[in-house]
Amino acid sequence: MPQPNPTSNRSFIIALALAVVGLIGAQIGMYLAYRYAPTQISTGSLFVVAPDPGVSSFNLYESYRIFFTHLPSAYTTAVCCGLMLLGGVMWLLMRKPFWDHLTVAAAEVGLVAGALTLLTGAIWAKYSWGTYWNWEPRLTTMLVLWLAFAALIALRAALPPGQKRGILTAVYGILASPLYPLVHWAVEIGSGSHPKSFSYLLTAPEITVTKNVATWGIIPLFVAIVFVRLMWRNVNHALEVERAA
Amino acid sequence: MADTPATATPSSVRALALLLAREFRTEFRTRSLLASQGLFAATSVIALALGSRALPHNETFQRFALSAIWVCVLFAAVVGLNRSALAERERGLNTSFRLLPVDPAVLYTVRLCSALAFLIVTEVIIFALGALLLDVNALADPLIPAIILLADIGFLAPGVLLATATSEVRGGEALLAVALIPLTIPVLAGAIGAWDALGAGLGFAGAQPYVLLLGCCAAMFLALGLLLYGKLSE
Repeated sequence: MPQPNPTSNRSFIIALALAVVGLIGAQIGMYLAYRYAPTQISTGSLFVVAPDPGVSSFNLYESYRIFFTHLPSAYTTAVCCGLMLLGGVMWLLMRKPFWDHLTVAAAEVGLVAGALTLLTGAIWAKYSWGTYWNWEPRLTTMLVLWLAFAALIALRAALPPGQKRGILTAVYGILASPLYPLVHWAVEIGSGSHPKSFSYLLTAPEITVTKNVATWGIIPLFVAIVFVRLMWRNVNHALEVERAA
Repeated sequence: MADTPATATPSSVRALALLLAREFRTEFRTRSLLASQGLFAATSVIALALGSRALPHNETFQRFALSAIWVCVLFAAVVGLNRSALAERERGLNTSFRLLPVDPAVLYTVRLCSALAFLIVTEVIIFALGALLLDVNALADPLIPAIILLADIGFLAPGVLLATATSEVRGGEALLAVALIPLTIPVLAGAIGAWDALGAGLGFAGAQPYVLLLGCCAAMFLALGLLLYGKLSE
């Protein structure tokens, strides 16, 4: 019996469109980040944390430009958590390999985006806080999420293909995805030094425009990679089925 | 047509009580789970005390010891879950349980309650040894037992689910630790933070964000466990 084409024209066109939008958007975003966004607006307007009364404010100067990579990567991690949850729930409901592949593709891209978030955050932290890492709640929860992505991939790699692997992947994807709201909520816990929000820190219109362009460039780029991984897994699955037949 | 007494489905509460009694009876006869879990916990705390015997028992040490003890609790929970899942697989109980005419959520609750009871017994050993060897006081604040209970649910709710799933694959014992530990780090952080705040005399107000974190994690994992357990047996 002929198998359906796993890389349908529609999937390919969506992936291609996202990749084109992503690549152009990311390039424009990076150009704006280094050429358009100002170095500083006025002394004392860019705070690492809201200064206590009587304490002199700290200016970010050029260092904040890394946020234009850091933020979209963090948002992509959130998107990947959402896709992982969707893939897990839909697989349990429909038992179609597509949803299983979506869960694992989202975890793979989430792992890369999470690593980029942690890395850019650590570089900025070295400038701003004087250390690459501290056990601040936002950093810790992001690391936990990154470990959960890694655990899902490791878990899946250790299991033979079949129903059990699909169940475990789906269940783990569903269990791990609520960790992102925890990352979001983490800045409210304790006395963390992570800025509470980008807009709170940086209010200049040029910075807002650059942030939006970078975000809407980088996220489609990562989603395109999810699609490519998904199509690759679908092809592999079709080959496995064919070989078994 | 009404069910005859022979084929009647027991109510959820009665099924829960019967199955829970069976779990305790089996453990009372074999003592296999408590022996392995308890021995692991005791050995870990003794090794920790031995390794840190030269350190001064100041405030920094207390905080370190508290964190290390919680890590022992987490690993003891993993040992217990693995032991219990392995025993059930060896006896072929996974298949038998699936044939029972009860809601999978009841089976999940039975496994969770029995694991919780055994972990609490193990914690008595851990915290008693911790008080004796590391000066960690589990009774410093009346809220600490509630923190321990919430943390236990946070560890075991996803643990029972994942142990059941991994027990049926080769090398599942190692996979459980890989899968469970990243998920339960927020629970660990919440338990340590809450205990630290209570121990420092900050009261419930100081511990509130951590208690909230613990409560959210426990509730979320419990709800997901109840919803997803049935899917594992399909």
